[in-house]
Amino acid sequence: MEDFKVVGKSHHRFESIKKAIGHAKYTDDYVLPNMVYGMILRSPYAHARVKSIDKSQAEKVAGVLKILLPEDVPDKLFNCSGNPPSPLLIEDERILTDHPLYMGDRIAAVAAVTKEACREALDKLIVEYEELTAVFDVDDALREDAPLLHPEISSSNIVKKIEAKQGDIDNGFKESDYVFEDVYYAPMIQNVSMEPNSYICDYAFEGKLNIISTSQTPFQERRILARLLDMAENDVRIIKPVMGGGFGERQQLHNQHVGAILSKVVGRPVKIINTREEQMYASVVRHSAKIFLKIGVTKDGYIKAFKVESYYNTGAYTTHGPTVVAAGSRKINYRIPNYLFEGYCVYSNSPVSGAVRGYGNPQMTFAREVMLNTIAKKLNMDPIEFKMKNHVEIGDKLPAATASLLSCATEECLKGGEEIRRKIDEEESKNRTENDPNIKEAWGTAFCCHTSGPSSKEGMSSSVILINDDGTANLLIGSADIGQGSETILSQIAAEGLGIDLKDIAVTAADTKFTPYDTGTFASSQTYVGGNAVFLAVKDAIEKITKALARLYEVGAEKIIFDKGRFVISYIEGNKELTLKEAMSKITFGQKGTIITGSSSYKAVEAPPPFAVCWAKVSVDMITGSVHLKHIIEAVDVGKAINPKLVEGQVQGGISMGIGYAMMEQIEIDKKTKKVLSSDLLHYKVPLTLDMPDIHVYVADGYEPTGPFGAKSVGELSTVPVAAAIAIAISNATGEEIKRIPITHSYIVKGYNV
Amino acid sequence: MDNQTIHICIAINGKKYSSDVLPNLTLLDFLRESIGFMGVKKGCDSGHCGACTVLLEGKAVNSCMLLAVQADGKRVITIEGLNEGEKLHPIQQAFIEENAIQCGFCTPGMIMSAKDLLDKNFNPTDLEIKEALSGNLCRCTGYTKIINAVKNAADKLSIQRKASEMEEK
Repeated sequence: MEDFKVVGKSHHRFESIKKAIGHAKYTDDYVLPNMVYGMILRSPYAHARVKSIDKSQAEKVAGVLKILLPEDVPDKLFNCSGNPPSPLLIEDERILTDHPLYMGDRIAAVAAVTKEACREALDKLIVEYEELTAVFDVDDALREDAPLLHPEISSSNIVKKIEAKQGDIDNGFKESDYVFEDVYYAPMIQNVSMEPNSYICDYAFEGKLNIISTSQTPFQERRILARLLDMAENDVRIIKPVMGGGFGERQQLHNQHVGAILSKVVGRPVKIINTREEQMYASVVRHSAKIFLKIGVTKDGYIKAFKVESYYNTGAYTTHGPTVVAAGSRKINYRIPNYLFEGYCVYSNSPVSGAVRGYGNPQMTFAREVMLNTIAKKLNMDPIEFKMKNHVEIGDKLPAATASLLSCATEECLKGGEEIRRKIDEEESKNRTENDPNIKEAWGTAFCCHTSGPSSKEGMSSSVILINDDGTANLLIGSADIGQGSETILSQIAAEGLGIDLKDIAVTAADTKFTPYDTGTFASSQTYVGGNAVFLAVKDAIEKITKALARLYEVGAEKIIFDKGRFVISYIEGNKELTLKEAMSKITFGQKGTIITGSSSYKAVEAPPPFAVCWAKVSVDMITGSVHLKHIIEAVDVGKAINPKLVEGQVQGGISMGIGYAMMEQIEIDKKTKKVLSSDLLHYKVPLTLDMPDIHVYVADGYEPTGPFGAKSVGELSTVPVAAAIAIAISNATGEEIKRIPITHSYIVKGYNV
Repeated sequence: MDNQTIHICIAINGKKYSSDVLPNLTLLDFLRESIGFMGVKKGCDSGHCGACTVLLEGKAVNSCMLLAVQADGKRVITIEGLNEGEKLHPIQQAFIEENAIQCGFCTPGMIMSAKDLLDKNFNPTDLEIKEALSGNLCRCTGYTKIINAVKNAADKLSIQRKASEMEEK
């Protein structure tokens, strides 16, 4: 393996000091001159018609500048998803609506000089609603008498059916010795980014719109807003400041359109910050899913056929729905000769589903891994042995995929993780005092893969690198660091390529006025897609420096090679070596002066899957049904880890989100009152310090030939297998297959009939 | 509602700030919007996430759950009050060294809760650290590195204490 100087080292992140001393500026920390506030009136009903709105009292509130009603905004349909344009992204949403389709839908908005005045004005808006029948889950939404949410788009509540296949599924089942069938359920969960969705929209008089935005996809945001507001894209500027997480939540528009229109009308910058309550039900949730699986295997444990029929609840609008379902079809880490995936994206009046770390994969992986565990036991095989027997290897293709795998270090992951598990068990058996027969302990193991960049391969990125005369560099990238540390990672790639220290890179990221296009921060793209763009921009800069040196030293460019940070010029009488710094000081000024600007355009050709193996150890009290989560081990193949500590941090964070998904998180809707109950962080539990087991991370020494310095991705991967591992561990302990998450206390007790 | 204000004076990070405030103004909004200590973060405004944690008379509190008037005449320390210019506080240093900061939105609150703990308990166990931070939500890190950072900070502070004891002798 190559000897790297900057890559593969755990450098501290650039912005950590600012964050540690409270000086990092997030959107809400900006105060613009003349700035006012905006708030949105959201529907209290899951389905209703607005019969009338009386704004006269609201307008009288001191400090109120404007009340915006549905008739005041452009009557255009759009899709808020921050994906690049696609026919799957059906446009069915309005900026403000008089026909709210979920509790939280935008009805009206206010701009006022204080937040208090905004709140008072919203209270004084008199809205007359006619409540309509609402449906909340896919079963209700697909009943014949269900209200159609978008009759103009579909004659049922099915937005789209997504199909993926290979081989002949019927033949596959014929060739199987045993066929298993079951149904699995996964809940709606919320991203719970620590920073709420926040925007400052400033529509200046000269027809320019500037938005400081918690955005994962600034360039898509710009495109959609420009179209909605009839503006040119270069008149819309999206600035992404320091951001408090995202996890997919900000891969779409939220309130930017409302803020922009308010700002245009009142002629002042407007700050709109979601409350936590708005975050919980009027932002984004992960699609709840109902998944039918049918798997055929041979006696000796080979999977012959794998059929999925899945129903993803997309909520009131299409947004990401069909792409989430499609993404869920593409991430199976097993060799399956006969595969059929039928995924239905279904409208309902529940909160709008969208992107949440994993994008269609956590649901599928939960169902698949649990079922494969059960099958292994029925075949009297060790589940790990059974899964490894069917696991893809280098040269294989994932089901329904076109590209062969160039990297897969699952075996090393398994070995590394098993070693950790062995040590834990050894240690615990040494310290064990007495055996309580009512406490059952067990491990569960789950496997998965994900993607590096959109699995549709539509990831694109570009980067510009300006090399200064002192050999330092300014890196401009359009890819948005939302808290995961991509600015540091991409700078490490640039520094390695240029052969300079990390401190010599200054990075500017994600401002559509200054940085080049990037598809966006989603699909775990930043290291692979963004990293390849940076790698190419550096290559371009090196080529330009080489040419400039050739002119200066009057040699052919082929006489100059760049190796380990040095330009080596070959003369007959011997070699001359220059560092980047020396080269730049020679070529920048003078008669033959050259300015060096490297640039790139990278379009993903592959989206290589990273792989993970996850172990959970639980102890279950068979009398009370309570589960104590003792350990989670996760071993990952992320290709070359550009920054191992950052990879470890991503895995640890992904595990905690996976624990929440498995054990406690769920957006609950009361079907009687038709209200979302999970309206704050008291009624929606996320893991806190005391909920966490001991976490162990193993990072395999992987290498992906198409990745920058061998890297793949990690962000989403890490959370995908966790719920399955926990569910399997509980099943192994209790003998009861877990087919529904979250595995809350009441569920467990019911499950055992205790 | 009439706009009757109350005069308060709070010592924030060692400096006194006097102001006439509405009685319903939270300490959080006072710190952020009246005084400009933007390092104090608003994550939920309802006492559930801990991002707004500050020290009130040395004790970690959710500043969104207190009114500014309740802090009248008292001492408040925010994240901005820990470092002396470029010289970071050992807890801040430890959070950076241990890579315990990802998106950073929970960091100021985490560090203040850790300070409350380490001021009282020089050598906390893992469980004591978890208990002290159990009101601070972090969605990025899974807490492992944060707990390591608090242990690292405890070590740093104990070395610092020993050094100053030596000096006194």
